Amino acid sequence: MHGVRRSRESREAREARRQREQEELNTYLSLQEDILSRKKDKDWSKDAFDLTTRMLNKNPEFYTVWNYRRLILLNNIFRNSSPHEKIDILANELVMTISALKVHPKVYWIWNHRRWCLENIPEGGDDDDMQGWRKTCWKRELYLVEQMLDADPRNFHAWDYRRYVLSSMPIQRPETAELAYTTKKIESDFSNFSAWHQRTKVLPRLWESGKLDKAQSLQQEFVLVQNAMWADPDDQSVWLYHRWLIGSGDDYDSLTREIKGIHELLEEQPDSKCMFSPILATLNLTNACVSGCMETLVHYKRLLIRSHTSRLGPEGTQILREECLGLLKQLEELDPLRRQRYRDLGALRRRHCQ
Amino acid sequence: MSSELAIAQHIKYIQALGKQKDDLIYHKTAHLRMNAVYWGLTATCILGRPDALDREEMIAYVMSCWDDEAGGFGAHTGHDAHIHSTLSAIQIMVMQDALDRIDIERVTQFILSLQQPSGVFAGDAFGEVDTRFLYIAVNALALLGRLGDLDQEKTVEYVRQCRNYDGGFGRIVGSESHAGQVFVCTAALAILDRLDVIDEPTLAWWLAERQLPNGGLNGRPQKLEDVCYSFWALSALSVLRKLHWIDAAALTSFILSAQDMEVGGIADRPGNMADIFHTHFGIAGLSLVGYPGLVDLDPVFCMPASVIEKKGLRKGWEALPRQKV
Repeated sequence: MHGVRRSRESREAREARRQREQEELNTYLSLQEDILSRKKDKDWSKDAFDLTTRMLNKNPEFYTVWNYRRLILLNNIFRNSSPHEKIDILANELVMTISALKVHPKVYWIWNHRRWCLENIPEGGDDDDMQGWRKTCWKRELYLVEQMLDADPRNFHAWDYRRYVLSSMPIQRPETAELAYTTKKIESDFSNFSAWHQRTKVLPRLWESGKLDKAQSLQQEFVLVQNAMWADPDDQSVWLYHRWLIGSGDDYDSLTREIKGIHELLEEQPDSKCMFSPILATLNLTNACVSGCMETLVHYKRLLIRSHTSRLGPEGTQILREECLGLLKQLEELDPLRRQRYRDLGALRRRHCQ
Repeated sequence: MSSELAIAQHIKYIQALGKQKDDLIYHKTAHLRMNAVYWGLTATCILGRPDALDREEMIAYVMSCWDDEAGGFGAHTGHDAHIHSTLSAIQIMVMQDALDRIDIERVTQFILSLQQPSGVFAGDAFGEVDTRFLYIAVNALALLGRLGDLDQEKTVEYVRQCRNYDGGFGRIVGSESHAGQVFVCTAALAILDRLDVIDEPTLAWWLAERQLPNGGLNGRPQKLEDVCYSFWALSALSVLRKLHWIDAAALTSFILSAQDMEVGGIADRPGNMADIFHTHFGIAGLSLVGYPGLVDLDPVFCMPASVIEKKGLRKGWEALPRQKV
């Protein structure tokens, strides 16, 4: 149970509710009994099918009933249907699950039933195109999942389903269209980590296929993420994506440029004084943002040390190590929840310094 | 604000759960019944009251959920076998020391039959796949002593493909990292002795970042805290031996504040309705951070540590030391 406020039911209120529910409960229990006994008897009739509809409208989480419904379709209804009739039946199933998903957008079983339906769409179409029905259905599916993501842009079921639809469509959409979709989602909300994540899956494919020039595209991504960072430096999504762009930090120029950028961001913060002051009287929110910047700086500076020691020289390396230690020390104060992590990292650094 | 764990109320709350058969909601949640029995039993064991629920009644109930056609356990009597309820049934029988009542050969075949060519597992014959089901298979086969029958390389390879740049793991290949999926993937790798697949520093950092200013943990960046993540994230941190990377005292206060002090039970967050799922995972989290008076929990199998040790299945995880009462 998630997000249901606690309410105290008096004995009378509970009794009254039970009276009200009694009829519903009786109907539910006799329907359940009827369905389970028909299932046991392998009753694949249309009557039994209609009973599953009734039950699933009452309780879409009753997975055994979804299973039974599919068995009735496979063992009877599909066998006695022409392809045209079959497509109508499956279209009905899809309509039924849309209404269920609108009420229960996170119920695994409903998503799963949709998937099963789509995989059972027969070949054929209204004109001579053998893939006609499949093309129409999958296209509609993409539209549906966009509606679901408009309602809840972080619903991971919907994002997983979106990736599944994209990979299953008979006519593949160009990857650039998916990149544009994530841009649209990010522009409407920089905090949509799911959309940033999707970008980390789409971009490498575009780079590998040569549809985008990697070096040029990376620079564009840095611009996009920097805009988001300056707009809302508190947002972890943005920092994570930035970290993905930096990767193992092999590109010295990008790494040093981004480190400089984060220093500038820190200095622009109204409370940036806290970076140099042990007295921290700032709000949690600001602390979170400053510690996010500083944590990232430590990570990037460590990457510099790890990958570019020869370029830095012994003195440059030593300076960076000390900077890391200083940042970790401040993080212990700024972000006390994770204090022990900064101590551990600091101890590790100090061992390297000796 | 509650500063102590209301053990007596929680026991009463768990005992009362099976006695609400005149409530519609009891019947509408039957698809979770076997899981709920496992959550309830584990919670009572961790609270130090393993005898709080009737043993014989519980074993008889589990056996009544056997689906003889499929060779696995359903979520409730008359329900179809599913890998999730099958694991709960096995866990209950192991905790009740009654595994000999199960047809181990058939249940092993049921589980193995659900592995897909990619290495992931389906939940049942209808094919929904998820790293949750992969973990369930690994956990169940380990408890049954049948891990040797599993194609471990293929299984590990699927988990490897679910790893993201942030160190975390998702539901299927391509999914974003989620603390629940991080738990299942990390625990599966721990059971298979393949922690080398994990980018440990990055994952431990990602997990530590799940703690929010109010002490609670969220499951993904930019999401709200929830008591159940106390377990998902803590389990993985224990496996990585980095439990001290979050603030245990702050988390403890958060979990305690989500208790229903009158009726018992723990909710997803303060002020919400308690349920057995959050009660169990809240108590599991408290055990891992060393809350005084609780029994040790094995974070890999999510069962009492002594049960797992007895079976010789303990892995190298580290919880926080138990505080004195």
